[in-house]
Amino acid sequence: MTEQVGGAASGVKKRAWYGSVWRFFASVKLTIFVLIALALSSIIGTVIEQNQPIESYYIEYGERWGDIIRTLQLDDMYHSVWFVAQLVLLMINIIACTYERFPPKWRSLLRKVDDFDPSIIDRFSNREAIELGATLGRARDRVIEVLRKNRYKIKLDRSQGDEVKLYASRGLIGRFGSDITHVSLFVIIIGAIYGSFWGYRDFRPILVGSMIRVPDADFALRLDKFWIDYYDTGQIRQYNSLLTVIEDGKEVLTKQIWVNEPLYYKGIRFYQSSYGTSWNRIKEAEIALKRLDSNKVDPPFSVKWGEVSKVPGSKYSVRLVGYVSDFAFDERTRTVFSKSGETNNPAVQIEVYNGEDLIARPWLFFNFPGLIHAIPGTQYDLVLMGFRTIPYSGISITKDPGTNVVWVGTGIMGIGFFLAFFVYHRRIWVSIKASGNGTIVRMGGVINKNPLGFEREFKDIVEAVKETDSRA
Amino acid sequence: MTEPKVIMSLMFFTMAFAFYAATALFYIGYWLLRREWIGQTATIMAYIAALATTMVLIARAGESGHAPFSNLYESMILFVWAITIGYLWLEHRYKIKVIGAFVMTISFLAVLSASLLPYRFKSVEPLNPALQSKWKWLVGILEPMGLERYAIGWLDFHVFTTFIGYAAFAIAFGLSIMYLLKERSEARKKGNFLVDSFPDTRILDELSYRGIAWGFPFLSLGIISGAIWANYAWGTYWSWDPKETWSLITWFVYAAYLHARVTRGWRGKKSAYLSIAGFIAVVFLYWGVSFILPGLHAYA
Repeated sequence: MTEQVGGAASGVKKRAWYGSVWRFFASVKLTIFVLIALALSSIIGTVIEQNQPIESYYIEYGERWGDIIRTLQLDDMYHSVWFVAQLVLLMINIIACTYERFPPKWRSLLRKVDDFDPSIIDRFSNREAIELGATLGRARDRVIEVLRKNRYKIKLDRSQGDEVKLYASRGLIGRFGSDITHVSLFVIIIGAIYGSFWGYRDFRPILVGSMIRVPDADFALRLDKFWIDYYDTGQIRQYNSLLTVIEDGKEVLTKQIWVNEPLYYKGIRFYQSSYGTSWNRIKEAEIALKRLDSNKVDPPFSVKWGEVSKVPGSKYSVRLVGYVSDFAFDERTRTVFSKSGETNNPAVQIEVYNGEDLIARPWLFFNFPGLIHAIPGTQYDLVLMGFRTIPYSGISITKDPGTNVVWVGTGIMGIGFFLAFFVYHRRIWVSIKASGNGTIVRMGGVINKNPLGFEREFKDIVEAVKETDSRA
Repeated sequence: MTEPKVIMSLMFFTMAFAFYAATALFYIGYWLLRREWIGQTATIMAYIAALATTMVLIARAGESGHAPFSNLYESMILFVWAITIGYLWLEHRYKIKVIGAFVMTISFLAVLSASLLPYRFKSVEPLNPALQSKWKWLVGILEPMGLERYAIGWLDFHVFTTFIGYAAFAIAFGLSIMYLLKERSEARKKGNFLVDSFPDTRILDELSYRGIAWGFPFLSLGIISGAIWANYAWGTYWSWDPKETWSLITWFVYAAYLHARVTRGWRGKKSAYLSIAGFIAVVFLYWGVSFILPGLHAYA
């Protein structure tokens, strides 16, 4: 930064241009404006619901506002270009401010004090002149003793003829609290960015007894059990899942998880996040034979998932092959699927056999019996009387390698805050001069923060110096 | 509808309510009439009110079997308790009683609004699954002594630090309002009966800064402990939930305040306005988000 001013006019002009841009980025006023802008703009995202399908904004806010929301990315505001730009601007501002202010601060604070002009003492608002009966040497010892008792470090102790000069300070490190806090913000943001690029967040419902492959990892996870604990009053106490990690076909680890107690394995965390019943599988179905001629329904029989059961009182048998909890049909692909996880319109699919021959693959609707004639061309129909669902546990899966970096950042922030808000830099200058039989002690002091507290401390120090004199 | 279970805490609450009303009245009386005995009575009332609030918290913990930080009503009492303790410390240290007319009035208004909460925000409930966050290491230490039910966890730490922060901001808010009143009368160079007894603007500004210098690290600690807890409970340390976002908004405003105080042209009046804006953000963060914006923090 010790660039020499060039002789050419163009050079001067360029420097001026550079200078004003630099001053803009290195000013604390910019910090204040960006912080206020961040505060105000963050409100928008709490008013407009985030991460909804884009159509829903048009439905709720109309065409014009819908366009504005889409253009300004207000549907995912905290990741929008302009919001992130504010954060980037804040970071540039912190770098520029630190670059501008930190080196001179470091130099001036750590410079060794060899001597000072005693007249500076008269410029401090905290100053006091006291007369002591002690000799110069003893007065010096007393002042040093009092300062040390108040945990000051004596930085200068210099005798010049009939004058002794002392300089003492305490809490210098507090001056660097703000810089440490700024560094910690950087670490936190780096951790957040790292995690968002190299991590993921996923959700998997796992049926009890079934297994899933864990994304981006070389192991699988099995849900052994899911259950809910209750208080005596009937309120829900806790949701629990028993999970087993399976690696290379072997069970490596079994753990019970609940809300607030995830499973952690190889950098990936598994959380209890929801539960429900399966939407595409059941344990078994209860089906009954209906005789259309007499409109009579036989007692039901049960058929297990994937298995075949004989239909009592007939020559047919059925195999249970499909289930959806909320029936829907995709015209284009001609497939059946479940519209939701709710049991709104449950239906099972069966294969009907006459001996070895497959004669039909009807869907039986629980809410609409008889909608599809299950055994076409006969006087028989099949009715879905009931079914047994399988519970699932909704497991959130997250991998965020940046988390530990964020925690390191918050730790640094804690140190920074402690130094910035609770450690004050106090400095006291003392001049002791022989006068007649005794001495005149002049003291002056400053603090960087908490001046009201320092006023008391300074008075106490002065009183203590006086007191030691009266004791002697 | 009163459950027999909450009778003790309700009794202490009624007592606290009465004493806060008296405290606020006496401090305002001291401010307007400037009689020494009124001020002394006000201080005594404030100490009794603080004691009653402490008792509400203790009784409530006994009744619910967990630290009394789990719903809006309990958190309001914690808020009032912290403001009162903070104020009494301030009065003890600086002996400026007229501040009580502003700060203890905030305490009274907070108690009043807590008493007006609908029943469902007051009831004693066992902790729901997401709020069970006891520290396992602490449970491990206390278990051999049979004291494991006294173990605390993220919920307690998070709520406690956050509310120390809120209370410090509330005190700073009262002081900033006093600062602006005093500043206006000083600028006009005309004495004003109402503000003559206020301390210097220099002192008001400094004390309100001290409030924020306590509130800001505690709010940050609240946000960070919330993030750590969220990482355990929800699987992510930050999800831009309205409560989280508003805590960040508040954090931004007070960060702006701290930078304003070291910037020429932003000291004094403008930073006092920022302190007031910050407290409005706190009120919205605390009550507005709970009642208006739905989210993961819906329960408190």
